[in-house]
Amino acid sequence: MNFETPDFLPVVPELFVLGMACLILVVDLFLSDRSRVVTYLMSQATLVGALVVTLGLSSPIAQVTMNGTFVLDPMATLLKSVVYIASFVAFLYAKDYLRARSLFKGEFFLLGLFAVLGMMVLISAHSMLTVYLGLELMSLSLYAMVALQRNSATASEAAMKYFILGAMASAMLLYGMSMLYGATGTLDLGELGARVQGAGPSSLVLVFGLVFLIVGIAFKLGAVPFHMWVPDVYHGAPTAVTLFVSSAPKLAAFAMLMRLLVDGLPGLHGHWQDMLILLAVLSVALGNVLAIAQANIKRLLAYSGISHVGFLLMGVLAGTPEGYAAGMYYAIAYVIMTLGGFGMVILMSRAGFEADRLEDYKGLNERSPWFALMMLILMFSMAGVPPFLGFWAKLAVLEAVVSIDLIWVAVVAVVFSVIGAFYYLRVVKYMYFDKPEDEHSLVAGSDLRFLLSANGLAVLGLGIFPGSLLALCASAIG
Amino acid sequence: MFLVWIILLPLLGAALSPLAAQRGRGVAAWSAGSASGLALALTLWQALPLTADSEAHISWSWIPQLGLNLSLRLDGLALLFVILVLAIGLLVILYAHYYLPKSDRLGRFYALLLLFQTAMLGIVLSDNLLLLLLFWELTSLSSFLLIAYHPHSSEARKGARTSLIVTAAGGLALMAGLLLLGHIAGSFELSTVLASGDRVREHELYFPTLLLILLGAFTKSAQFPLHFWLPKAMAAPTPVSAYLHSATMVKAGVFLLARLFPVLAETEAWFYLVGGVGLTTLLFGAYTALFKHDLKGLLAYSTISHLGLITLLFGLGTPLGAVAGLFHVVNHAIFKASLFMAAGIIDHETGTRDMRRINGLWKYMPYTATLAMVAAAAMAGVPLLNGFLSKEMFFAETVHHEWLGALDWLLPTAATLAGVFSVAYSVRFIHDVFFNGEPINLPRSPREPGHRIRIPVEVLVALCIVVGVMPGQTVRGLLDAAVTGVLGEVPYYSLALWHGFSLPMLMSLVALTGGVVVYVLRYQLFKLHDRWLPRVSSEDLFYRFSRGILRLARRFMQSFDNRSLQRYLAWLIAVAAITAAAPLTNGVILHGGADLMPIDGVSLAAALILAVAAIATVRMRHQRITALIMTSLVGLIVTLTFVHFSAPDLALTQLSVEVVTTILLLLVLYFLPGGERLEISPLRRVRDLLLAGSSGLVVALLAFGVMTRSHTPISEFFLENAKPLGGGSNVVNVILVDFRGFDTLGEITVLAIAAAGIFMLLRGLHLPLPEHGFGRRQWAVDVHPLIMAAVSRPLLPLALLVSLFLLLRGHNAPGGGFIAGLVAGTALILQHLASGLQWTQQRMKRRYFTLIGGGVLLASATGLASLLFGRPFLTSAVLHLELPLIGEVELASAMAFDIGVFLTVVGTVILILENLGRLSTQQSAQPPTEPEEMR
Repeated sequence: MNFETPDFLPVVPELFVLGMACLILVVDLFLSDRSRVVTYLMSQATLVGALVVTLGLSSPIAQVTMNGTFVLDPMATLLKSVVYIASFVAFLYAKDYLRARSLFKGEFFLLGLFAVLGMMVLISAHSMLTVYLGLELMSLSLYAMVALQRNSATASEAAMKYFILGAMASAMLLYGMSMLYGATGTLDLGELGARVQGAGPSSLVLVFGLVFLIVGIAFKLGAVPFHMWVPDVYHGAPTAVTLFVSSAPKLAAFAMLMRLLVDGLPGLHGHWQDMLILLAVLSVALGNVLAIAQANIKRLLAYSGISHVGFLLMGVLAGTPEGYAAGMYYAIAYVIMTLGGFGMVILMSRAGFEADRLEDYKGLNERSPWFALMMLILMFSMAGVPPFLGFWAKLAVLEAVVSIDLIWVAVVAVVFSVIGAFYYLRVVKYMYFDKPEDEHSLVAGSDLRFLLSANGLAVLGLGIFPGSLLALCASAIG
Repeated sequence: MFLVWIILLPLLGAALSPLAAQRGRGVAAWSAGSASGLALALTLWQALPLTADSEAHISWSWIPQLGLNLSLRLDGLALLFVILVLAIGLLVILYAHYYLPKSDRLGRFYALLLLFQTAMLGIVLSDNLLLLLLFWELTSLSSFLLIAYHPHSSEARKGARTSLIVTAAGGLALMAGLLLLGHIAGSFELSTVLASGDRVREHELYFPTLLLILLGAFTKSAQFPLHFWLPKAMAAPTPVSAYLHSATMVKAGVFLLARLFPVLAETEAWFYLVGGVGLTTLLFGAYTALFKHDLKGLLAYSTISHLGLITLLFGLGTPLGAVAGLFHVVNHAIFKASLFMAAGIIDHETGTRDMRRINGLWKYMPYTATLAMVAAAAMAGVPLLNGFLSKEMFFAETVHHEWLGALDWLLPTAATLAGVFSVAYSVRFIHDVFFNGEPINLPRSPREPGHRIRIPVEVLVALCIVVGVMPGQTVRGLLDAAVTGVLGEVPYYSLALWHGFSLPMLMSLVALTGGVVVYVLRYQLFKLHDRWLPRVSSEDLFYRFSRGILRLARRFMQSFDNRSLQRYLAWLIAVAAITAAAPLTNGVILHGGADLMPIDGVSLAAALILAVAAIATVRMRHQRITALIMTSLVGLIVTLTFVHFSAPDLALTQLSVEVVTTILLLLVLYFLPGGERLEISPLRRVRDLLLAGSSGLVVALLAFGVMTRSHTPISEFFLENAKPLGGGSNVVNVILVDFRGFDTLGEITVLAIAAAGIFMLLRGLHLPLPEHGFGRRQWAVDVHPLIMAAVSRPLLPLALLVSLFLLLRGHNAPGGGFIAGLVAGTALILQHLASGLQWTQQRMKRRYFTLIGGGVLLASATGLASLLFGRPFLTSAVLHLELPLIGEVELASAMAFDIGVFLTVVGTVILILENLGRLSTQQSAQPPTEPEEMR
């Protein structure tokens, strides 16, 4: 029970982001609205710096510090790096959007940085306490970001729903954790795994705890039937916020899944596999079917995201290293695609026009053939058509479930992605085959155009050379 | 290495085409043609002469994690298809150059066509299932772009979309099937898979695997009932049709059947599925083709029918069936490509494709007519032409097949019937178009086209004749190689033109004469057809299905996505309750084994009051004050429960927290808009009741299950060490100020930050004041009743004294800084409530920030002090003082820490409540009445 000074080295990226966030908080106070770009630049610099520090600290051996509550392992390094990159991209996409709507304030970037910090803590969690700490830091920042546009009724409503449902889910997660703690007497995830093995999987309290744990995880991932917040939040929030909410936090939620279930409760694999199968199948089914009925592209992407989460879960539920790697690969692929998808919505919008109806994409090919091509790539990739990134991700998770003889899951997933292909195709049809209703030329800064093109091409490039990313994921799982 | 170049050359051509098109159409055609031509030349140069050993094979590891290798193999089967794809591709490139309008620069067209060619070559050369799948999907994509080449015709768009949806969906099914196949065989390398045929056929997953793979093949090869995309795809420019629907796209499915023949065939399931579908398609296509008035429509259904024939041949599962199937692949590609090209020329020259209007073209374009007639005759199976040979083999196979037992006659009969229709529509193609009177109302006056556009047709028609007359000298070698690729050996077969008078010969004769008879009777048949044609087509079914899914989606929207938070919460709680209850149904014993306490009267009464109060809160939620009182009743009972189970510390904390929160709620509820009482439908009431009841029950069961399980509590450690290590006998307090002192310090810091945040949020905030309370009741005129003020004032010193008492004794007996702080804060707030803000503020300076800051500083200083003595942060020390009068007093340093907590809590409570209270008083209509006489 004695207090020891821990090894702070593995925590340096977290400390760096925290310190910078606090610094920016203070600096931002003294900035006029005209020089707000300083906040933006400092935030971006923080992310770049964090990436450098994280990569500099990377080592193939897992290091546990802070009295066993924090771990730095290859998985953490990889996921954190992707989180920085995704956040960097999201901030850049968001910049002009926010400026056009007089939302270009320090809050967005600061809350974003604190959310990133929360994700980092969550990704590196080695104790249920750290998991919860990271999760709440991330979630609270996200709730506030959704509510950033205070004069928008839909945004406020979305934030309220997100908060209430999120609080419920957090409470259930905590309830589950308390049961696990009660049954095993430890919060340490490594220790928990060992003691669960000892207790035997039939322990009632453990299973109860697991159920609530999964409710919490499923909520954060947005898996059916805990997905209700996703469409409303994606739809209601300003697109710049939606972009952020839909991207990096999914990686953190994936990390939470891995830390709690794979690191913490490997002994209950049989139990959580069943539950994840249910979540995965429901997500893929409902996500794809409901996406068809959407007329709003943000809601459409929300439902598409729900179905992607179903696929991601398939990788994890396999319970094999290949499956985990496939799940991680899927998560990263999804983040790249969703960044591009919402980035396109931002590109198409301008002050007073959100470009969030599907009709707004009519005739994009005539207005801008290049970005129509980018959107085409993104849509085909999400539908899982080769040779784009999304195809390999789907293939990897399907192989994972097939390899453990869960054929029916693979077949169901394929059937519903066939249905899913339908709505992605509808967007393509609007872009290429219909006459434009809106004759405005696209207004966007050259940095946005450049990065969005790079984003689209990355989906293609990583699709043509999928090996390296997959190998990276496999080595991160170890 | 040359295998890679076979694929790369067309791809290179695709990339170069747009550039070449900048320099003119001719250059584009030349570059595209040379790409195809070079690839073809390379293939012929490297792969010929053909021997069984001259198979080329290369393999690079690409993504080993997925089992995907870049493996290519050129065996006889692949060679046959490579030659078909490249040779016909070359002719189509030539044809398109003259066919497409001069305004089209052709760059995009050739790029897409060559991209498609690349994908096709990839399919046939792949030696890895996943690689094959990759190219397979690429053909769907590139054919989509080709069919939609004229995107502004709505027909082309619809055709392109339908074909993409159907074939891409089939591709996904194929993906699942190939994954299963690879899983069973243990590798995705085709050579391994092909060698493990027995294992696959005996595997329990054989049937689903077969079904999924066939779905992929059938969608691509337009087999009934998934054929409907093909006629729609006729909206594509004719060169595209000529390429995709003769030699390439539709043959991909057939190729897959041939490729996987050694693995999947020769089972009953294969025979019934492949044979059955093939037979149905053969008959259906042949029948429908006769009734199509559109020239390309006729050819489309004829294509479907011929693909059915090939599928049926493979479905028979016999070696000779496979031989005949491969032979017909070649023959069909040759005559169908030339027919499409001829149809394109006719369309071009007359401006229409309606056979009811195009008549008697013989007079206008005799040369083209001759070519088309020869090709059509080959399609009908006229002797001395290539179509005749494979059709004879087909008839022979149906006769010799013995799977159906007593129904053996069915197959030859159906085959003959299909033959009759096939002849009939071929005759129609010839007679309606080139003879049969004069043209009717043609948009353009037809004439013989330029001779260059006819070159590809001439080449193909010449092939029809050469193969038909000298099969042994022309295709035998290639066919043998291909058959070896499928079967591993060449069974005995004869390509002789004359087998003597046999049953197949008779069937051919019946088909030819029957076909002519049917054609003569066509007008009667058209009438019958128009009256009796079944109105349900699979296309309708498909669209109905997609509309059905859309409707289903909309219905789901209403139940899952109605954007109501209540609905979402209901789902969340219901699912959580169900999943939590699920383990209980598994026969897990709920009772953990610990002894249960006896139920005494006091506990029972407490439980009853709790339940009643909870229900009353819900019932009276519209009368907020009453509901609030009911809620605090719940809190009170909980407090008493703590007392009952001898936890005075908890009870004290609970009580003071309860009071503070009640005041807080009171202040906040004031601002909540009143509004009208919402009507709740009885159904929803029942739903909510069930939901609340069941989740309550589940939580109760969980609590029971958890609490009856034995566990070793950590309290032992604290009970033993509180006095020796922490210097206090109140364990709870010692934990707070000593063992978990760091936590407490953090907590009060957070409290202080929260207080500052709340202060900033409320500063300058103006909320609209509600004019009346619930049920339009007026607010009381007398805001601060005299009696309450009178009673509250003497209470203050008393309460402060109690608080001080609780603080000082806290370390050893129930009490402590937190509780004391709440009590003191409540006492001070009471003055605000009873006498009004102004009155209180005149007498009490607002110093809460001093209190809060001082508290945090004091607590921190206590912690830091221990560092001065070389001890870790927050180590407590115990001091024994001998005071006069009072005697020995034990002073732990923790006391100072506790005072810090006390100050912070007092400050925070007052700050929050006072500032909330100010909101409701600062702009109220009448200023708070001062109880003057009290001054």
